[in-house]
Amino acid sequence: MIRFERVSKVYPGGSRALADVSFDIERGSMVFLTGHSGAGKSTLLRLVMMLERASRGNVFVNGLNLSEAPDRLAPIVRRNTGMIFQDHKLLKDKTVADNVALPLMIAGLKYADIRKRVRAALDKVGLLSKVSQMPLALSGGEQQRVGIARAIVSMPPLLLADEPTGNLDPNLSRELFALFEEVAAQGVTVLIASHDLDLIRRMHKRVLVLSAGRLADDIPARNIP
Amino acid sequence: MNDVSLFSRIGRRIRAWSRQHSYSFFSSLGVILKHKTGTLMTVLVLGIAMFLPLGLYVTLNNLDNVDLRQDEWSAVTVFFKPGIDGTEVRRVANELQQRFEPGSMTLISPEQGMADFRSASGFGDSLEILDENPLPWVMQVSPRSGSTDQLESRVAELTAYLDTVNSVELTQFDYKWLQRLGRLLDLGQAAVTLLVALFGLAVVVVVANTIRLDVASRAEEIEILALVGAGNAFVRQPFLYTGLWYGLMGGFIAVVLIALAMFYLGGPLGLLLETYGSAFNMRGLEGYHALWVLAGGALLGWFGAWIAVQRYLRKLRIGGRLGRS
Ligand SMILES: Nc1ncnc2c1ncn2[C@@H]1O[C@H](COP(=O)(O)OP(=O)(O)OP(=O)(O)O)[C@@H](O)[C@H]1O
Ligand SMILES: [Mg+2]
Repeated sequence: MIRFERVSKVYPGGSRALADVSFDIERGSMVFLTGHSGAGKSTLLRLVMMLERASRGNVFVNGLNLSEAPDRLAPIVRRNTGMIFQDHKLLKDKTVADNVALPLMIAGLKYADIRKRVRAALDKVGLLSKVSQMPLALSGGEQQRVGIARAIVSMPPLLLADEPTGNLDPNLSRELFALFEEVAAQGVTVLIASHDLDLIRRMHKRVLVLSAGRLADDIPARNIP
Repeated sequence: MNDVSLFSRIGRRIRAWSRQHSYSFFSSLGVILKHKTGTLMTVLVLGIAMFLPLGLYVTLNNLDNVDLRQDEWSAVTVFFKPGIDGTEVRRVANELQQRFEPGSMTLISPEQGMADFRSASGFGDSLEILDENPLPWVMQVSPRSGSTDQLESRVAELTAYLDTVNSVELTQFDYKWLQRLGRLLDLGQAAVTLLVALFGLAVVVVVANTIRLDVASRAEEIEILALVGAGNAFVRQPFLYTGLWYGLMGGFIAVVLIALAMFYLGGPLGLLLETYGSAFNMRGLEGYHALWVLAGGALLGWFGAWIAVQRYLRKLRIGGRLGRS
């Protein structure tokens, strides 16, 4: 689903965020991405979302080589990728339902279908009762779950998350990861960048470890006790 | 793939497209109605900007239409040679009638001329000492009415012909005022063109600036839209609709202002023109003019919005700040 071939990323300022990174992630698997601050985790996710272009090497997503894809394909790549942000990126002046509906509005679905799908997605994250609330009236964990509902509402084949548990308490974090696991079980490829080593260890999933822009380790799922 | 599935795919694309547009349409209308005062001020400025060239256009249109150049104003005066009698004069008059179908013709006999001169000059009886009337036959011919250019050429044809008639001593015509009127109207037309270009630019700039502020205040929303996969067209649409609304409403204000100005100025202007002895019918904007103004305003507004958004969309390019906290 995601394949990096000797990918390097040097930012215009000259700082090297990724150096010669290669890996392959299978469809329907759940993979963690970890590493110290500044290791290049966010950069890697940005490459997959076509928010950034590789300086060298090839990034394949669902068979499409993003390094060679024209700019105009970026919206289509993003439409097929659910992204969860640490700071949620919700519209403060729109209801929870309207926020979740956004990707479906962009796809031009019928209002009746949008309503149905939004309710299904909110049900999945356990927020059906908050449909008509404003995001600021929700707790941090609830806002994060609205973000997840928005990311899965259009049923994209790929789900990315950058520090989704950033400032959540351990219980909420565990719940969130369980939710991701559920999504992955339905055939969605899930890639999560996280610092939360304890939690990652407990999930028994494959872990990619970045260090100063290099892939320092690639721990397969079964090797974790 | 069979035809049915192709058609249903195309149908689905079209429906999706129209739903996206209806979303933009209503979201743009929402923005406009939410900021009533701001909208009103913008639209008033646009209306006034469009009113100015439009007002000059209407004024010229009226001037060009006024009967200023009729009758005595544009008459060619024909002096016959001394001793030419009424029979010859009437023959020439008949000839002119057939060749040129002039607007009007007046014949003045020497006796009539003398009588007029007496009463007008105040010499009165003192002219009795002349034992012979020294005045020739005189004829005043006005060409058929028409535009300034048409009049000019008709007068030229008329005098050219009269110069070939033996019994005519000379023809006189004050071209200057006719030419002046023509040049003035030309100048006015050029001024209208200039004003349309200038104020059209003003409309674009005003809308672009308003939309620029609108875009900046919704930067976060735009960023989020782009992150969840909105293309440039989708981000742009609501702003283009807003610009279009502004232009359309500005055009409407301009048309209303013209109607008000006509109502207000119509009375005094009519009285003024009556002193020139011309029946005056004020012409407002025709229906199709008003449609042009509305369409033009909408187009300029759309264009202004496009410029404002386009500048901003560049910031959403790959490798930009999109998605950073
Ligand atoms: N826009 C940018 N311009 C220049 N350098 C950048 C830019 N974004 C990131 N970098 C640099 O690239 C390197 C990797 O950054 P990145 O954000 O990918 O790290 P990270 O692993 O996500 O760190 P963190 O855990 O703190 O979020 C850092 O050294 C950073 O300074
Ligand atoms: Mg990061």
